[in-house]
Amino acid sequence: MHLRDTFRKSCNLAAILIILFGLFSSEAISDARWLALLGLAWLLLLAGTHIELPDDLPTFNRGTIRTAFVIFTVFVLLAAQLLRIQVVQSDNTFHRTGIAPDKQIIANQRASSDSLLVQRGRIYDRNGIVIADTIEQDGEYFREWPDPATAYVSGYFSPLLYGSSGLEANWNEELTGQSGGDPVDEWLDGLLGRPRTGYDLNLTLDSNLQNTATDLLDGRTGAVVVMDVKTGAVLVLVSSPIYDPNQIFTANQEENDAAIAYWNDLNADGARAPLLVRATDGLYTPGSTFKTITSAIAIEAGVASPDSVYEDDGSLVIDGRELIEFNRPDPGRDQWTLEEGVGWSLNVVLAQVGLDLGAKRMREGAGRFGFGQPVPFDLQVATSQLASEDDYLENSNALADTAFGQGQILVSPLQMAMVASCFANDGKMMQPYLVQTVTNADGEVQETTRPKTWKTPVSASTAGDVRDMMIYAVEQGAIQRASGTGYLLGGKTGTAEIGDGSNNSWFIGFIGESEPEYAVAVVLEKDTSTPGTTTDIATNILLATMQQRP
Amino acid sequence: MIRGYRPVARGTEFSLLLIPSLLAVIGLILIVLAPRNVVDWTWGEIWVSIAFSIVVLGISALFSLRGFQGDQLLLPITAMLSVIGLLMIQRLSPDLTRLGPDYAGLARNQMIYLAGGMGVLWIIGMLAGPLRIMRLLRDYKYLWMMLTILLQVSTFFIGQEVGEAKLWIRVGPVSIQPSEVVKVTLIVFLASYLDEKRDLIGSSWRLGRISLPPLPYLAPMGAIWVFALGVLVLLNDLGSALLLFGLFVIMLYVATGRLLYVSVALLSFLAACYVAWKFVDRIDIRVQNWIDPWAKDPYYTGYQQIQSDYALSAGGILGTGFGHGRPALIPQVHSDFIFSAIGEELGLLGTLAILALYLLLVVRGFIIALRARDGFVQLLAMGLSSIFAIQTLIIVGGVTRLIPLTGITLPFISFGGSSLMVNFVVIGLLLYLSSLPKRI
Repeated sequence: MHLRDTFRKSCNLAAILIILFGLFSSEAISDARWLALLGLAWLLLLAGTHIELPDDLPTFNRGTIRTAFVIFTVFVLLAAQLLRIQVVQSDNTFHRTGIAPDKQIIANQRASSDSLLVQRGRIYDRNGIVIADTIEQDGEYFREWPDPATAYVSGYFSPLLYGSSGLEANWNEELTGQSGGDPVDEWLDGLLGRPRTGYDLNLTLDSNLQNTATDLLDGRTGAVVVMDVKTGAVLVLVSSPIYDPNQIFTANQEENDAAIAYWNDLNADGARAPLLVRATDGLYTPGSTFKTITSAIAIEAGVASPDSVYEDDGSLVIDGRELIEFNRPDPGRDQWTLEEGVGWSLNVVLAQVGLDLGAKRMREGAGRFGFGQPVPFDLQVATSQLASEDDYLENSNALADTAFGQGQILVSPLQMAMVASCFANDGKMMQPYLVQTVTNADGEVQETTRPKTWKTPVSASTAGDVRDMMIYAVEQGAIQRASGTGYLLGGKTGTAEIGDGSNNSWFIGFIGESEPEYAVAVVLEKDTSTPGTTTDIATNILLATMQQRP
Repeated sequence: MIRGYRPVARGTEFSLLLIPSLLAVIGLILIVLAPRNVVDWTWGEIWVSIAFSIVVLGISALFSLRGFQGDQLLLPITAMLSVIGLLMIQRLSPDLTRLGPDYAGLARNQMIYLAGGMGVLWIIGMLAGPLRIMRLLRDYKYLWMMLTILLQVSTFFIGQEVGEAKLWIRVGPVSIQPSEVVKVTLIVFLASYLDEKRDLIGSSWRLGRISLPPLPYLAPMGAIWVFALGVLVLLNDLGSALLLFGLFVIMLYVATGRLLYVSVALLSFLAACYVAWKFVDRIDIRVQNWIDPWAKDPYYTGYQQIQSDYALSAGGILGTGFGHGRPALIPQVHSDFIFSAIGEELGLLGTLAILALYLLLVVRGFIIALRARDGFVQLLAMGLSSIFAIQTLIIVGGVTRLIPLTGITLPFISFGGSSLMVNFVVIGLLLYLSSLPKRI
């Protein structure tokens, strides 16, 4: 009958959907819940495979066919269970560790002792200074990170306890020699069980600049990113506070206790979170640095030009809320161009630009700058957002707040450095990268990263307008303390209110000889230092970068 | 040539058998090469695989020469499963020998059992007709019943303990595992009994105005079954107990078509499980390991399951390849947990392929049952093929934590003489049953 047929099909479909849901919903799903879902799916499959049999079929044949279907459904469950353990959850299961009541540590010996038997590749900075080292002792290889200022960029490597992170995790196949070189050799190595030698990674990172930036931060919580605007090569990736991967690496059970204590200490304070690499994985409200993006979107859309004039007499009333202007250099003036609005960071001007743009164009424009999209990079990057709620921007005040960088915007320092690069590079946003080449033990290059354009959010002329406004901000606007360096330098500061009374301070900008070469993003979390500190850090690291050009 | 035998072509069987033969040789070469750095091996190192190929192809050829008409898929499927088991044992043998001298010669023994099993299979397939085995099986059902009881009782009194369970009895120089034999004798008894009493059991028994199941006819069957099951539980051989229970339920269902019996059996089973879980510590531990082996004591009670999870997850989709994983980290990997070793080295593709082979084997057996003309043959074929379905579910479900773990061998793959021999007897019987006149 037609109805029964539909019923059976729906049962089977529901069972498949339940299994797919259980497999892919979230990693948090426990084994017990998964088994309960499988049980439910099984009942549905039993109903779904209960086909109609002719009435005159002998009892034995009927029973045998029914039994065959029941057996089939059970085999489907077995297959689903295998799919979960061997593929979907395999990484979690493989690296899972635990501690027994008698303090014995359980870890997968495949992950641990095997890892120590591979001569893991080294990681070097752009001048050949070692970031991650491998030292042999009695046939086992130990990992060391000599410089605390670069160690966390490499990530931790803790095969006996906590697995790995950062480059150690994302480039594991190259570091262990499983891929990246001659595929035939690698295949033969695997087939014959030859000891593998890992490939070395040569980074774009500069240890000296990394140390300079670390000194400039001087223990404050925050991040500094410097990148080459033309290529996307990342030269500085500083995050503070830091952790020491040397203390997480262990080679035997005896060392585990100290590592566990250190790890627990790292995780004890949620606000400090040293394991969080803020430069890439931290999300902050961008504050006024976002005004560059709003202006770019408006100029690109033809809604404004750097010379467009807006009224700003010290306040603006939007839907009954009064927005107060604090930043006018001359309280007697009430007409300001967009260039002056960006250069002096006038909230009232940018609020009007945002209202002229409207929610739709704002969303589309931010999307072109990569908001809401994962940034492809050698390290994990937190995904930025323009707003957390879909209809947030429909409110005029929310739209105005967003236009000058408040509201619900969240973005990583790396992405803001990319935004600055984009204006400095004729509107082309390069894909950021850290690993320049992969070399084998003989120093032969196996892989080279070629610069790639990730996005082109605006035209070259729009990018030029915004670049000029950022230069104006330094030379004639609010951040004149960054002027007089002898270089072409543009920038934009930001002070983001984060709701608890404290502020995050920002600086994004670029530097170059006759045209911009390097871009920077600096953020200080809950900043209490003297005003201008962010600008000074950014200016100094940019100058150091120019002086240490290869 | 013997009168009455005319050679027939068994092309399907023979050509399909080339796959396991090739796998045996190539697989063993890979295993031999795995720990070496260079491509260097000798024919002497892979004699086992060559012997295996000669045996299976030879059996097929002999079947052809004698004009055997039986099913052409059973032997290739069985050979495929056996060769995977043989290769896995070969591969584990050096690792296990490092753990203890008891494991030396594991691979050689497995090959001897396999050759013996193949021989038994051929003899049964060929000689069951002339020896009138069907009559022997059907008419002497109480003999099979007595044998079942005898084997169980003897295990209870003279059985040797291995680990937690009493599984073995020693007869002269050989140890046999009675539970493996009992599964066949019980099916023979049930098939014969149910075929004879089918109408009586299927009907209702009236006591005044109340309609009851025909208790007098169910009683002897129930008694022997409860007895077999009870002894296995006392011996702590829970996997075999579960197998016998499943076989009993399936055969009762297909013989009578009455879901009432199935429901009563399942409900009483669930009740028994609940009681066992509440009051037997050992079973409580099994249940905990099923839900979460990390919860209580991952270093002791949960250790084996966790190691099995590690191995399966290490395999991924394609596996590490023969010889490149570390399955010997799992305790008892060569018997109960061999499926996890396969999962590690052959990956999801390997494990799914093995499940598909078992499903194919079972369905093939069911088709033989459906085509048979005679009620006893039907029930016998159905019961025998169900063995593989239930054992696979019990042990694969157990090691992958779909159900609580109760140990039983993985047919044709796990190490063990009794298990291999009996399973080949079962395939031999199925082959013979498939050569009998068919309905369609």
